[in-house]
Parts: sequence; C-alpha cells; structure tokens
Amino acid sequence: MISLQAKNQLTASQTAVILTNYTLAVGILTLPRAAAQEVQTPDIWITVLLGGCVSLVAGVIHVKLSQQYPGKNFYEYSQNLVGKVLGSLLSIFVIVYFLTLSAFEARTVAEVAGFFLLDGTPTWAILMPFMAIGLYLINSGINPIARLFEIIFPLTIILFLLVIFMSVGIFELNNLRPVLGSGIMPVLKGIKTTALAFTAAEIMVVLVAFMEKPEKAIKVVLVGVGIPTLFYLITVVMVVGGLSIEVAQTYTWPTISLIQSFEITGLIFERFESFLLIIWIMQIFATFTISFYAASLGLSHLFKRETKPMIYLLIPFIYIVAMMPKNINELFKLGDILGYFAYILFGLFPLLLLIGSWVKEGRHETKQ
Amino acid sequence: MKLSNNYKRFVFIPSILSLLFLTSCWSTNEIEDLGLILGVAVDLEEEKGQEGENVITLTNQLATSNSSNAGIEGQGTQQNAYKNVSETGSSLMEATRNSLLEIEEILLAHHVKVLVIGEELASTTSLQQTLDYFIREHEIRQSCQIFIAKERASHILETSEPSVVPSMKLAQMTKAHDRNSKILMPIHLSKLNRKIQSDASFLLQNVISDQGEMKFDGASVFDGKTKKLQGLLNKEEVEGVNWITGEGKGGLVKSYVEKKSTPIIYEILSMNSNIQPRVNGNDISFDVEIESEGRIGEQKEATSIDPSSNETLIKVEENIEEEVQKLVKSVSEKTQQEYQVDVLGFGESLRIEYPKVWEKVKKDWDKTFSEVPIQFNVNVTIKDYGTLGNK
Repeated sequence: MISLQAKNQLTASQTAVILTNYTLAVGILTLPRAAAQEVQTPDIWITVLLGGCVSLVAGVIHVKLSQQYPGKNFYEYSQNLVGKVLGSLLSIFVIVYFLTLSAFEARTVAEVAGFFLLDGTPTWAILMPFMAIGLYLINSGINPIARLFEIIFPLTIILFLLVIFMSVGIFELNNLRPVLGSGIMPVLKGIKTTALAFTAAEIMVVLVAFMEKPEKAIKVVLVGVGIPTLFYLITVVMVVGGLSIEVAQTYTWPTISLIQSFEITGLIFERFESFLLIIWIMQIFATFTISFYAASLGLSHLFKRETKPMIYLLIPFIYIVAMMPKNINELFKLGDILGYFAYILFGLFPLLLLIGSWVKEGRHETKQ
Repeated sequence: MKLSNNYKRFVFIPSILSLLFLTSCWSTNEIEDLGLILGVAVDLEEEKGQEGENVITLTNQLATSNSSNAGIEGQGTQQNAYKNVSETGSSLMEATRNSLLEIEEILLAHHVKVLVIGEELASTTSLQQTLDYFIREHEIRQSCQIFIAKERASHILETSEPSVVPSMKLAQMTKAHDRNSKILMPIHLSKLNRKIQSDASFLLQNVISDQGEMKFDGASVFDGKTKKLQGLLNKEEVEGVNWITGEGKGGLVKSYVEKKSTPIIYEILSMNSNIQPRVNGNDISFDVEIESEGRIGEQKEATSIDPSSNETLIKVEENIEEEVQKLVKSVSEKTQQEYQVDVLGFGESLRIEYPKVWEKVKKDWDKTFSEVPIQFNVNVTIKDYGTLGNK
C-alpha cells in the first residue's frame, strides 16, 4: 500500500488550481447549447450561476466528509464508514466513474480535434498520443500534475479572456434581454443541465487527503468552483450575446461558431478559433489526467498495490470505453449518463455518508 | 554497466522509431496546389433535373497566384487575379464536389468572404435550405457576408479589371455603411442564421451588375415564415431603414432653408433611434424617437444662408427633420402595407419590453405588425458648419 510521503502533498493554491482545471472541460464548448436547449430564454446565465452554487454545496459536503478522516481519501475511509464490502463496492463505482470520465474527455478531444483541426486523422491516432502523454504525466504522482496545471492555468485565463472578449464586436445586449421575461421557471428547469457541467467537486474526495493543510479545503472549493463558474458565465453571456439564444441551440459547438463569426483585421491573427481550441484541449487534458489518476489511485487502494502498475492496467480500459460511442450523439449521451451517475454517486452518497459519520461520532461521544 | 547499456538501448530504439512518426504534416498541401475559395455565388437553373428536382449552379471564386500581387506591373498581369468555377448539381455540396471534375486545385473554403444568392433562387427556395450547407460546413466561417443579386449571382463575381478580385471588393464595399446610409449594415452568416432560427423577417443587401461592375442597389425583403424573397426596397427606402433601426452611422440628407431654394447638404455624424412599444390592453403601438447630430457639409451658394445665426440653423434643422420623416414613413408604410412584414426591428423591441405580450402575438407578428400605428419623432441637431462659417 502506498504511503503519503512529504513530496506527495499539495498546497492550498495548488489544490484550487487542480480543481479549477478539472472543472473546466467539455462544457466550454457545449454548455451554451445544452443550457439554451433546456432553458429557451436568454436567462441561461442565471442558470449557470445557480448551477455553480449547486456545485459549491456539493463540494462543501465532500470536503466536510473528507475532513472527518484527515490524511485519508475516499477509497480508504469509505470502508471505515460502511464496512468492507459496501465500502469496496462504493470504491468500485467511483473508480468506474473516473475511468469513464477520462475516456469521455479523451474521446471528445479526438472528435473536436478531428473535425476542426486534423481533418482525416483517424480517432485512434489522436487518442493514443493524448493518452500516452497523460500516462507520462501521472506516472510520478500528484505533484507533477499539480505543477503542470499551474502552468496551464494562467495560460488558459489569458488566452480564454482574450479570445472570448474579441467577440465584443458582434455582441448585442438585446440578445440577452429581457431578463426573466418568462419568469423564473425555465431558469430553474435548466439547473439540472448546468449543474452537469459543474459536476466536478467530486475530485475533492481524493484531493483533500493530499493537502498540506486540509482545514483550508473549504476555501479551495470556493475558489476552485468560483473561477470556473465565472468562466462559464462569461462564455454563456458572450455566446448568447453574440449569437442569440435561438442560434446557440442549433450549433453543435456554439463557442467555436461564435469565434468563427468575426474576423479582426489589423492584428497579426484574424481568426482566433485555434486559440480557443488550444486552451480547450489543455483543459480537457487536465480533466483527463486527474480523473485517470483518481481512478488508478482507487484501484491501488482497492487491491492494496502500488499506483504505477494500476495506471498501465487502466490504459486499455480507457481506450475501449473511449471508442465505445459510435457517433457524436452517443458521445453526448455518454456525457449525460456520466452526469446523472455523478448526481447519485457524489450528490446523494456523500451526504448520507456525512450524516452517517456524524451519527457515529455522536455515539462515540455519548459512550465516553 | 550492463543495466545502463540496456537502459540506453531501451531509450535509443524507441527514439529512432519515433522519428518515423514525427515527420510532421503528413497530410500537408502546398499552397500553390490549394484553390482558396473567396466567394460563392448560387443560382437556380431554369431547367429541372431528371427527377424534377431543382438544379443549382454554384460558382466558386478561386484565388490565383496573381491575386496576391494584383496591381504590380509586369509580365503575366494580363491574367485575371481570380478564377471562377461553375458547376451544377441538385445540392450545393454536390455541385462543389462536381467542380472537382474540372479543376486541379484542392478546394479550401476557410477564406470565403462573400456569398451571393441569385434573386431567382431566393424567391423560389427557402433561404434556410440554401444556407444549410454554408452553416453546417465547418470550413466556412460564420463571418462571411451575404448578398442578394438581382438577376444572376455569378455575374456579380465577374469584372473586367484583371487586377481586382470581385469577392474581396464586395466584402470591402460594405464598410462604406459607415459613411453612406443607402447601404445596409453588413449581415454575416451567424447573424442571418439568428433571423432564420427565430422566424423573423429580415433584409439583405442587393447587388446589381451595372455594365459588368458590381454596385449596391437597395435591399431584398424576406418573409420570416417562408424565408423567401418577397419584395424589394430601393436605395432611399434603405436610408429609411437605417434611420428607423438606428444602425446607420453616417450619410447625407438634402435640405433647404426655404422651399425651392438652393440645397444644403446635411452630413450625418450620428444616428440614434429608440423604438418604444406601447401596449394598451390589446392595442399595440410604437413610438420611434430618432435623434441625429451632424454638420452642414455643403451648400450650393455660399451666400444664401448665414449659418452663424441660430434661427437659420433651426429652420434648416426643421427641414431636415421633415425630410427624414418622409424617408422613414415611406419605408414603414411600404413594409406594413405592401409587404406586410416587420423587417425594422419593431417585434424585437416588443419582445424585450413586453415579453408576455410578445409570447401571444409572435406567431402572427408580421400580420399584426401590418396594422399597428407607428409614430415617428425626429430630432436633428446641427453641431457645426465646417470651416466655412460667416459670410
């Protein structure tokens, strides 16, 4: 069984960066469409804000739970809490979730890159290098991951804001009006969809155990969910403002279509979609590696073996799952299923576990 | 030692092997072999296909190696800076691929600047159908501009000047919208898509071919339901459109101090409009506030008026306001009575100000619109009179 060595620890800011990078994923390109289809009014930005709040609450629950067992991650303390069999079963579910998630991210990159950038390159040829680099990164544990993410993070912020605010020329405030014209109901209806894009706080069940100062974890969640919420908010506002709610529903990748809708002459570059794709691929890579890592960590705890062989063991499974969706509809469907799975696995269970652990604690105290 | 040798081999062999895969740009194409499409013209043919389907002619305008050094004197400049390739098919994609039967270049649509649609096609086929390919195809950017050609679209993409690329010229010409209110605000693909998706009626800029050279001439009115061309607006009516929507940025208005005196040209520096819907029970009406600032740009007889006197200026302003009233009324009456479609953004303002009312009327909005009363208030301010003041 692996032991937590000093070098395997994360500072609070590193954890926040990992959480941010993990949260920002496929949603940058698809959230405006998914939310617009559900809400149908220009108010989807409110939905995004509310979705962020839901995610925040989930994150706090995860942290509270993890803080009950300092230095232990979900795979370890779940067995303490509900017993060996049930705990292992829960661990297996979580492992399957992270594995499927990393496969989903990898496949989405292959689809988008294959469509927009590498016309004619077969899916496997995009998937394999992507997975190989991920493998190389997570081989040496959580710290290199954190360090890479610290490089990706500022790049993402600068490039993303630059590219998205370029579209200000086609931005029309009227597309975002009226506010709450059809009442609050459509907005609430959409939370289900936007919260899907935010199902990210679950990674905290693994990360808190790595933290130097786990007591700061609540702050980490605030920052790590707050920044992506802001990003998604900007994305949705600019896409709806630039394209309108009707059109945002019809484009498969509305954010790319937004960037394709204008050209800026006079700068060195006229077109900016490749910048958007660069940061997007980096973000997907981040989500891919960290969920890949979480899955292999889970396996190593389950079988009480080192993490490294587990990484290699997982690779073929990720590849197989990634190749399962036959077309783009099935890929989106897989994403939805993952989201619902996450609701139950990380919305319902941790809450029950948290209550359970409080009850257990309470009993201890009365006994004494 | 042995271990390190093994290690070296372990690293060495994969690195050599990886060279095979790292040659980069496997599917690279030399730029000379590419046929960059700059503009596309779509026309409907009169003859039907074998199964009675519509036959469409697609004209792709390709850049040639002369496009980039257009204007440089020397040998070979006699060759045109562009090359038009026309091919027919029952669908646009089919027609594009059919053109591969006759050219050697690899077609690349990343740089399509303009899309010209023939009047014949626009009035018989839904624009949504025609544009589907252009929106769906990821190579074509959503920033390309759309025009309607009176007569044949492919004629627009032709010119007698060898050094000019018609597509580029057309894309540039819309920039004059800032200085001439007879040109509509440029409409790019994603903006047009918005009108189409929301079933709103809309206008598109018209282009004509005048003695072999392209020229802007009015606009086409599209019905939001059928998405077909329904009628035309002339240049003056386009001016009215720009006044009502406030999308205009500059232009001129001809005015007088007294009727039948020598004209004074008012140069528009800013145009603003505010469409205010009024809902009273079931009655909908609109108030349009139009404001403009500008200067006296030209005066036929320098002695005829004294611009330094405020009374004269107010008189001129009133005359300009009257002139603008005429422009906006003629176009609003034409769209309400003759075409019965709302292309002026009145529905949009109702949607924003009264979302509940809009939900009720949006289904038959064009019909409702044709009967609503509209009140125009024009307010013009002359700020200065250039460098020629006191007589």
